[in-house]
Amino acid sequence: MGNLKLVQLAENGKRTKIKVGSVMIGEGLVIVGGPCGVESEKQTLKTAEAVKTGGGMMFRGGAFKPRTSPYDFQGLGLEGLKLLARARENTGLPIVTEVIDPRDVSWVCEFADILQIGARNMQNFSLLREVGKTGKPVLLKRGMYSTLKEWLNCAEYILAEGNPNVILCERGIRTFETYTRNTLDLSMVPAVKELTHLPIFIDPSHGTGKLSLIEKMSLAAVAAGADGLLLEVHCNPSEAKSDADQQLTPDQFAALVKKITKLSRFMDEKLFKTSIITGGDQI
Amino acid sequence: MKLNEVRQNIDLIDSKILKLLNDRMEQGLLAKRFKEQIEDSAREQEVLEQVNNNPNALIESEFSESIYKLIFAFSKKLQARELCLTGFQGEHGAYSEEAVRHYNREYVTIPCTTFNEVFEGVNSGLYDFGIVPVENTLGGNVGPVNELLINTDLRIIGAIDMPVHHSLLTAPGTDYREIREVYSHSQALSQCRCFLSRNNLTPIPYYDTAGAAKMLAETKPRGAACIASKLAAELYNLEVIKERVEDLGSNRTRFLLLAKSNQECESSKCSIVFTTEHKAGALFGVLRLFAEAGINLTRIESIPNEPGDYSYFIDFDGSNKEQVVLDTLDKVEKQTTGLKILGFYDEKKVEG
Ligand SMILES: [Mn+2]
Repeated sequence: MGNLKLVQLAENGKRTKIKVGSVMIGEGLVIVGGPCGVESEKQTLKTAEAVKTGGGMMFRGGAFKPRTSPYDFQGLGLEGLKLLARARENTGLPIVTEVIDPRDVSWVCEFADILQIGARNMQNFSLLREVGKTGKPVLLKRGMYSTLKEWLNCAEYILAEGNPNVILCERGIRTFETYTRNTLDLSMVPAVKELTHLPIFIDPSHGTGKLSLIEKMSLAAVAAGADGLLLEVHCNPSEAKSDADQQLTPDQFAALVKKITKLSRFMDEKLFKTSIITGGDQI
Repeated sequence: MKLNEVRQNIDLIDSKILKLLNDRMEQGLLAKRFKEQIEDSAREQEVLEQVNNNPNALIESEFSESIYKLIFAFSKKLQARELCLTGFQGEHGAYSEEAVRHYNREYVTIPCTTFNEVFEGVNSGLYDFGIVPVENTLGGNVGPVNELLINTDLRIIGAIDMPVHHSLLTAPGTDYREIREVYSHSQALSQCRCFLSRNNLTPIPYYDTAGAAKMLAETKPRGAACIASKLAAELYNLEVIKERVEDLGSNRTRFLLLAKSNQECESSKCSIVFTTEHKAGALFGVLRLFAEAGINLTRIESIPNEPGDYSYFIDFDGSNKEQVVLDTLDKVEKQTTGLKILGFYDEKKVEG
């Protein structure tokens, strides 16, 4: 696995816990909900309320959108950040938002609680260094063409700058399969856990790109031991400016959270907390 | 140049016109303080002549005259309202002005260049009241104000303890990534030190927070921002990049409202200033009187008059309706040289 001295799991098995607001990441399941992009004041504040009522513990939303086409909606930028801060003021939910430009890092820190590094920027090393200098929790998504080793090395970059607060997030990789948007690689959850001390989240929304598959893959992620879920929720998904096909309605989100929470409680029993079969490659 | 740029210019000019109209109305109210009656047709004629002879190409005299007749009419209407004028140091949008609004929204606030001008203006009757900051949780006591209080004959008739929230403001259209320099009063800059260094911004001291906002709106220096109140953002048509950029959540300033004479009002606090003889235990003797009477002191401050010679400020909880307070003050007078009761008043605490 190369030189992963900072991210690898120590002998004592101690796992990283990150406190964000009143939420402790790495201690029970953390559900993050919110729209793909921050589009307007009404859409943001309404969705944030819905995420809160639906049982979400953090709010996500993109103010800077790295889009496939330069002509697609690029996000509201600073205005979007201000709206996210308003959403936090209204709901008390911590904010997770993506930063795509090293010049924006300090400003995004002013408004957000967790900095997200998107899949397309996983190996943007100057960006990784910049977020590494901040000390703010970083949610590092797996690049869509990246191996586990490459991904963990990117986390190592952030830790090497002095920021220990890294959360890994699997969001699906490119395979030859075309039915789904990406192939959600849930084996990463136990793999990350046996190799590193970092928490891992799963993003079934981008991982499948299909509304009908999100519930089952969320449950599977919880069964696999994920520390958190990142779910796209929009107060009116059909009008979303990006990722319209994979965003949950507030009702769907609330129902899903209910189900996930039940499973999560069940998984908390001792029987599921320890693995029956251990071993395999060590770092 | 594009249409939206022209429109940005128009918005800026409009905000200046309104600001100037407001300034003109203020001057009208001040002029009233020197006049027996509001009406002065000779002066109106004089102004109209100046206005009609203006060299601006597009402004025809018929147009300017009709505008000025409206201005006169509105100015006279305001003068007839017997408004209470309150002097404050700084430009419009200053925190002192915000404090006045918390005290009484009806009071008209008049900007002054210096604290001394505020004191003088109240003394001469130009203003009914003056408002001055005395202490801040982060910056400590406001030296020049305390020095003026030692020698003034004015009375404290009220106090406002108010949270101070700073905002980072820019001229519209400024890209936040281009901000390098931040203008503000040195005290405000020091209250936002961590914020500035986190974002690699260079603090540039300016004479006043709202003055920095005004300068930004008028001269639009490149890569510049200012730290001032949200009120200043509204007044000078600036964009709020971020609210609450102060480092401590509990950044508060205490303001005093001054008048020429005592006001008959409910009081719960008292401020005094005194000097003592140069002998051992002199200050202790005074403090003991308050302790023995069970009076709670809320502030004690010493200001040097000259090296080794101090004036002491004491604020305490108490009303001029309480006999124990009046008795204690009698005793204090005997123990001190030059006791001055600055006033009995009520203090308003603004939450948030
Ligand atoms: Mn998305």
